[in-house]
Amino acid sequence: MLNVVYAEIIKLKHTKIYWLILVALIPVCLWSLMAVSPKVGPDGTIVPLDLQELFYRQGMIVTILGPLLFSLMTGYVVAREYQERTINQLFSYPVSRVSFLFVKLLVVWILISITSILSFLIVVSSTLFVIHQLDLTTVLLGLKMNLLICVLSFGTIPVAAAISMVWKSVIPTAVLGGGVSLIAAICELGHSMDVILFPWLTPYWPVRDLAQGLAEMGPNPYVIPALVILIVTFVVSLGFCIFYYTRADVHSGT
Amino acid sequence: MNYVLQTHQLTKQYGSHAIVSDLNMNVKAGDIYGFLGQNGAGKTTTLRMLIGLIRPTSGEFELFQESFHGNRIKALERIGAIIEYPGFYLNLSAVENLEIHRRLMGIGNQESIDEVLTTVGLFDVKKQKVKHYSLGMKQRLGIARALLHRPELLILDEPTNGLDPGAIREVRELFLKLAKQRGITFIISSHLLSEMEQVANRIGIIHKGRLLEEIDDKTLQQKTRRFLEMKVDDDQRAAYVLEQKLKVTDYQVAGTGILRIYECLDQTDLVNKTLTDQNIGVKEIVLSRENLEDYFLKLTGGDKLA
Ligand SMILES: Nc1ncnc2c1ncn2[C@@H]1O[C@H](COP(=O)(O)OP(=O)(O)OP(=O)(O)O)[C@@H](O)[C@H]1O
Ligand SMILES: [Mg+2]
Repeated sequence: MLNVVYAEIIKLKHTKIYWLILVALIPVCLWSLMAVSPKVGPDGTIVPLDLQELFYRQGMIVTILGPLLFSLMTGYVVAREYQERTINQLFSYPVSRVSFLFVKLLVVWILISITSILSFLIVVSSTLFVIHQLDLTTVLLGLKMNLLICVLSFGTIPVAAAISMVWKSVIPTAVLGGGVSLIAAICELGHSMDVILFPWLTPYWPVRDLAQGLAEMGPNPYVIPALVILIVTFVVSLGFCIFYYTRADVHSGT
Repeated sequence: MNYVLQTHQLTKQYGSHAIVSDLNMNVKAGDIYGFLGQNGAGKTTTLRMLIGLIRPTSGEFELFQESFHGNRIKALERIGAIIEYPGFYLNLSAVENLEIHRRLMGIGNQESIDEVLTTVGLFDVKKQKVKHYSLGMKQRLGIARALLHRPELLILDEPTNGLDPGAIREVRELFLKLAKQRGITFIISSHLLSEMEQVANRIGIIHKGRLLEEIDDKTLQQKTRRFLEMKVDDDQRAAYVLEQKLKVTDYQVAGTGILRIYECLDQTDLVNKTLTDQNIGVKEIVLSRENLEDYFLKLTGGDKLA
């Protein structure tokens, strides 16, 4: 199994997939730079840096761009085998097709984690760099938010995988992912609590919990139904992926 | 007899359209089995079934004398295959691609990568990205990959596609060497008769999804024997004379006034003289060869083969 993971990781060498991570990291960097640079308030005093606010914005950036970027990553990892006509070879190995599916999903999860954790590290290090001190409680809040983003974002990944394996192309996933990111942007800027019911927006739940000064505050009452919807989405789409990936006739190259 | 592959009524349908019908293939250990058929005959479809890329609609088969169904993983460890097109990760070098193969096949030593690359003559370009390879180089890399895990059976779908004549000869010699030295069994599909004749010791002819015939080496040789064909005015008497005077026993009357003898091929003069001395009119004598092409045309009822 380790060999299968290793093989899947070398396949990503010299690919543009890492640019996708950068697409998320660059706005995080810019935002952090802006936030940590000293600001002068209306009364002439220096406004102290609000780390929680910074994490909140970082979370928004990752969860808005996430649907697009993460589905592109999934689409690439799954569909390239068809587009580059390697699927014949892949499925001729003495390895079950389910293992390949799981390893591909694992790789996507690793990519999501890298994106989220690097964003977190950017916020932490830019803060440290400028004001040389950190409020540990807030850092932990930020870390918790990012870990939850990783887990919750993964919930919709099998949907992207399913679309990519059925269409054997990254394009449908990319288009849908782009659409969902747009919806995410609109919903997150509206700050409404119930948007997390939409499975691609469930990752917004831990982000919104860090928000300050919104009209509706306090624990999000939609968490349980949102999680149920997300889990159902995950299970159903993963089930479909397993069924389709293991059963389908493979014709690529014709 | 030790069969590496036997298929039983293997059938693949798409909708109501049968692409492969009731195929009964028999490949023995050590065979170089030429799987011959025109474009669209169903070669690739059959080979896909053999490594489990697609499921048969009905029928079954055994690889290494074990039913494939339920033993897929075990069988695949012993097979090297190129189906349709040698697919590689273009962003990676030849070595990296083979390294992936080595890992997924679960085999140990890394030196074998250099060894197979040398075998197919790609050692010097092993660090280049496969993106920059020509089709012929990819084809050779595909063969290297199929060999890397020392398979017992190689299933190659048109492996000489994209190779120039020189490379085709090299590859052919490589196959013959591997069959001889390592006892590897080959199933090689092709639409080129001439190519198959030179390498295969058994040929299965598939046409419109049906296996028309499986012929072995010896039968093949008979089908492709050289002979003297003569037009004479009395074939019976001519045959009698040749039997008596020249001790010719291997002959055949191939039509009224047409006699084929499979002996005395370089004694056209003598044959001619013997017959005319007995007052048998000889209109023509030509040295000719029954080839697989004619044979194929006969079998398929006239459909030309490339
Ligand atoms: N997935 C599919 N659905 C429907 N028909 C198919 C499918 N795959 C192949 N066919 C048809 O099956 C027939 C046989 O195809 P196949 O690829 O097996 O031929 P082949 O002998 O390998 O030909 P070639 O020499 O061109 O490679 C073709 O007529 C093709 O159109
Ligand atoms: Mg073919």
